[in-house]
Amino acid sequence: MKDVLKAVEEEGQVKVITGNAAVAYGVMLCRPDVVTSFPVTPQTEVGEQLASFHADGILDAEMVEVEGENSSMNVVLGASIAGGRVFTATSSWGLVFMYDAMLEAAGFRAPVVMANSNREPPGILAVSSGQQDMICTRDAGWIQIAVENCQEILDSVIMAYRLAEDINVLLPVMVNYDGFYLSYLSEAVKIPARKDVDRFLEPLKKQPERTKLIPGRPLGCGTHGLLEEYTELRYKHCAAMERAKQKLDEIDREFGEFFGRSYGGQIEEYRTEDADIVLVASGSAAGTVRVVVDKKREEGVKVGLIKLRMFRPFPRERLIQALKGRKGIGVIDRSVCFGWNCGPMYMELRAILTEIGSPPMMGFIDGLANMDITIKHIERMIDEVYAASQGKPFQEVTWVVLEEEE
Amino acid sequence: MVKRKFTSKYEAGWSDADEKLLCLDTGSWRTERPIVDDEKCIYCGLCSLYCPTQCMIDKRDHFEPNLDFCKGCGICAKECPAKAITMVSEKEFLK
Repeated sequence: MKDVLKAVEEEGQVKVITGNAAVAYGVMLCRPDVVTSFPVTPQTEVGEQLASFHADGILDAEMVEVEGENSSMNVVLGASIAGGRVFTATSSWGLVFMYDAMLEAAGFRAPVVMANSNREPPGILAVSSGQQDMICTRDAGWIQIAVENCQEILDSVIMAYRLAEDINVLLPVMVNYDGFYLSYLSEAVKIPARKDVDRFLEPLKKQPERTKLIPGRPLGCGTHGLLEEYTELRYKHCAAMERAKQKLDEIDREFGEFFGRSYGGQIEEYRTEDADIVLVASGSAAGTVRVVVDKKREEGVKVGLIKLRMFRPFPRERLIQALKGRKGIGVIDRSVCFGWNCGPMYMELRAILTEIGSPPMMGFIDGLANMDITIKHIERMIDEVYAASQGKPFQEVTWVVLEEEE
Repeated sequence: MVKRKFTSKYEAGWSDADEKLLCLDTGSWRTERPIVDDEKCIYCGLCSLYCPTQCMIDKRDHFEPNLDFCKGCGICAKECPAKAITMVSEKEFLK
């Protein structure tokens, strides 16, 4: 037991762990005050891991067993506005069941950190991966980050606390990782020593204290009677979202200096320096795209990848900078945008089309409900975007699996 | 460009409870008011605990509602174990 403590506090360790365990390790290192969880596939293991850390005495937090996700979010929300550092995790049905409380957390500007293991939401039963659950909550006023692998999960959870609790941000943060693909994937993960994480989180202690509930000082939160201030508060929320973008870049850079790993902040660019065409992807699919980009580069195609890490707020400025002057762009969406017959990331990228010089932009809907986004699929996407970049007529949106040759 | 000065000093919907919440004059919505029989009152404090507007005033041997804020919901009367609280229509007090 003494060795375990020493490894956690002083030495750091390298372990082969699942994505879910990576979440739990990241959270444990940040010393939360209150943790809630309710089981839902595929994130159940997060709560189990945290409970075992608590039992082992390496996590000194109030562990609240709740009767559902709605309570889960409300409990952490209460603890957060009382000044605590909080954590909860969920997925899919659980995420949408806490939707009203998520809006409350955002409206209260409570720096709640939540991990969401992406899974297809209710409607068509699917115990399988997809980013539609995250998309269902994109307008809840939360910061949304999507990550690629188990190491990035752990690192992003730590960075999420720095971002959420920053006095100039104060917004809830959702760290999204693909269910099944990452939740159950075991990879070697570098787990930093808690003393170093303490140091990384230190700036949060040095900033002015945020408004919180203090016994003896009557303060209302979420109380009625603020109608004249409503527009003002919405404005402040949006302004904080804008500030969060650059803040994430800064935190990511600082994380790199501390731990030797960084992810580009809002977006990561891979082999884009001289790229004519670019694929935009997020989550675990970005890993496969990397491999295909390398392969296509060998064949002489000047292609690069942009991994969209931050989906809310939308990294507009960084994307304009990164995509300006490209000859063709392909966007991979693991979810759909009802009413637009395309993916949501594609739709949002279309909003900056004129600012990047109106290149051909193609949307690819792929990977819904655990359909693998294969190397073959991505090769096809690159070929099609390349053809479009050469002036060939192109189809704006492709439902990849449905349009495959049988 | 925002030209107006912000009216709230807070980033979120925080309010100084004694200035904002208790200035809403919730008593004006009431259609019934609780009448406490202080002879029957056993001074257990349950009415005060259950009161959603927290308007039961501690009179040291019994409780009385602050009618500026009492919305007349009747929860105190329902919860009172001594049945010391009766809800009476506001009509009775118009005369």
